Amino acid sequence: MSNLNIKATAQNTYDAIVVGSGISGGWAAKELTEKGLKVLLLERGRNIEHIKDYTTAMKKPWEFEHRGKITEAQKETHPIQKRDYPYTEFNESFWVNDLECPYTEVKRFDWYRGFHVGGKSLMWGRQSYRFSDLNFEDNLKDGHGVDWPIRYKDLSPWYDYVEKFVGISGQAENWPALPDGHFLPPMEMNCVEKEVKKRIEAKWNKSRIMTIGRTANLTVPHGGRGSCQYRNLCSRGCPFGAYFSTQSSTLPAAVATGNLTLRPFSLVNSIIYDKESQKAKGVVVIDSETKETTEYYAKIVFVNGSTLGTTFILLNSVSDEFPDGLGNGSGQLGHNLMDHHFRCGAKGKAEGFDDKYTYGRRANGIYIPRYRNMGNDKRDYVRGFGYQGGGSRGNWHADVAEMAFGADFKEQMTTPGAWEMGLGGFGESLPYYENRVYIDKSKKDKWGQHVLAIDCEFKDNERKMRVDMMNDAAEMLEAAGLKDVQTFDNGSAPGMAIHEMGTARMGHDPKTSVLNKWNQMHEVKNVFVTDGSSMGSAACQNPSLTYMALTARACDFAVSELKKGNL
Amino acid sequence: MNRREAIRNVAFLMGGALSATTIGVFLGGCNSPSTATNIDLFTNDQLKLITEISDIIIPDTSSPGAKAAGVGPFIALMVKDCYPQDAQEAFVEGLDKLEKQARDQFSKSFLELSQEQRTELLGKLREETLAAIKTEQETLGQQKSPDVANDILPKEKPKTVPRFFSIVRDLTLLGYFTSKIGATQAYEYIQIPGRYDGCVDLKPGQRVWAS
Repeated sequence: MSNLNIKATAQNTYDAIVVGSGISGGWAAKELTEKGLKVLLLERGRNIEHIKDYTTAMKKPWEFEHRGKITEAQKETHPIQKRDYPYTEFNESFWVNDLECPYTEVKRFDWYRGFHVGGKSLMWGRQSYRFSDLNFEDNLKDGHGVDWPIRYKDLSPWYDYVEKFVGISGQAENWPALPDGHFLPPMEMNCVEKEVKKRIEAKWNKSRIMTIGRTANLTVPHGGRGSCQYRNLCSRGCPFGAYFSTQSSTLPAAVATGNLTLRPFSLVNSIIYDKESQKAKGVVVIDSETKETTEYYAKIVFVNGSTLGTTFILLNSVSDEFPDGLGNGSGQLGHNLMDHHFRCGAKGKAEGFDDKYTYGRRANGIYIPRYRNMGNDKRDYVRGFGYQGGGSRGNWHADVAEMAFGADFKEQMTTPGAWEMGLGGFGESLPYYENRVYIDKSKKDKWGQHVLAIDCEFKDNERKMRVDMMNDAAEMLEAAGLKDVQTFDNGSAPGMAIHEMGTARMGHDPKTSVLNKWNQMHEVKNVFVTDGSSMGSAACQNPSLTYMALTARACDFAVSELKKGNL
Repeated sequence: MNRREAIRNVAFLMGGALSATTIGVFLGGCNSPSTATNIDLFTNDQLKLITEISDIIIPDTSSPGAKAAGVGPFIALMVKDCYPQDAQEAFVEGLDKLEKQARDQFSKSFLELSQEQRTELLGKLREETLAAIKTEQETLGQQKSPDVANDILPKEKPKTVPRFFSIVRDLTLLGYFTSKIGATQAYEYIQIPGRYDGCVDLKPGQRVWAS
């Protein structure tokens, strides 16, 4: 009997376990396998094979029964996912059935999830921006959150490293708050965007700039992957492998080492803590199809289950030593939840370009990096925001009567109409201690686990920032000569930006943070957390590129520590 | 970025013209309970009626119209699958009323009317709908918006009455411009553009790109 157990244990033992196969988990699997470790990559959902399983990628508009729209039946099983635009018939199977994995909204929080190999790397927005020292120093300077234990110089070589592999197209701007990277050729701005850029930069004497979006879409073939075909259908999965995802990029690299075991349908319930060694010895996995429980063991564990997924696992990993969650001596685990606030800005109409049009569907827009609370600029709020947006020409004609119909109306609908340009702000939110998640024991999910309760709200700093996000956008568009400029604020609930982060933050001090400067748990040295939960502040840039750089850096450190016998 | 674009383009693509009901339905803002029924909502005659209405909204011109593009059956499917019960009821009631109006005014079924007579009836219906929406908006505008503690959250959209003409028109536009005929003959569709040119000269007769 004991022999059998030893054999079973040996079979379930790896050098490293990576929990989650999304953007950061895929990177951890790639880095650790390439460094020679035998890695078990656990994914709670189904497998999606690159290209083969992108079942809607090549469908034409008329081949969708409901032309992209969601049915009443789907709304019933997806009451959270349906709240905003991402959940559509075009990639319906990439989104969770909310009824199977409920959570408690103490306040409204829109939690978008995809349970499958690749996670949200399949559906992500692909905008990729470096953080700068402005971002790494803000916490220290204004006293919100705790000081980041790293600075730009610590991460800069790792940004280089991941960018070279990912393939980011963009334009170098030498803008201090948005460091340049290793860029593939930039996508082109359209003629309205070019004019708006010129006029904004002239008016503000380059103290504000506008650049083409830096995006993980390939403008030239790169690393064996094809270049963007300008279909703008990325979120269905790309049959050309033209944007970065686990499937297109990190997973094939990890598989090629021969060191990877990928196990889909493997829901990690908790991490097993070993009192003797004061380390994690493995994980408890629920087979998400059969609900059977199995343990897997490893020398190191990387937790990359998405910000709140990771935090649930850690909170759920209780022991005599850690009754409030693994490595939670600080009491900070689950706290300081952040997301970007957005959905406000301005738009207007551009005149004088009636003889111009575009060709192709660019899966990208423009970006105006943060300029507020920098240098001598001082506002009645702290931190700042960036803008994403773009110009486009559709079929809107000012002289179409309301609810018109008939032959003339049809002709107008099919004729290129007014050029429009919009700017939408993405604002930084502060790491408030009271914005938190915790385990709600009054409910269970489909697999018998308790669920998360989420208690998070935007506050006064965000509210004040939004005034600038609207007015500045309008001011810039007007300065650029646009007509009929209108501001908008469609409201923003935490979660909607799908940039949730911060619930297991990095910091210098084990008393006030969960992870050290290497994304290593202060209190459990062989556990690393490198997804969004590790973030000490949110900045206003899209965060995924930073997760990648943090992951590659942590993997390098972990393997060197392992080799030194420190883990 | 694509989020902003996506939302903006929904309205933009349709000429900023979708009704509150449809925007609510398609952006998930509508919380009405759905029907549990599996039976077909429409009789064959009603299906014919829907098809003819759609063809008045988007008729044959230099490109084929909504009827040729199969928009009638699409509308019937969408009303059955994608709209809540109150909108379904409003839709069926609207069909019946239109048929009754045809009989009252012309002593004929809608299907027997000339193109001009059909257009006249729909024009009237359009005006009634616009007037009703205007009244509704004024009433809603007078109601004080509830005091929300956190004013950053998206506001709950006020519930508006689903209206037959709005729905049939919305679905005609959606169904037509995403149909093979609409996308390739009324619009211009290139499945794999292969490149992006941000600034090209508008060709004479250039049609709107289908996406």
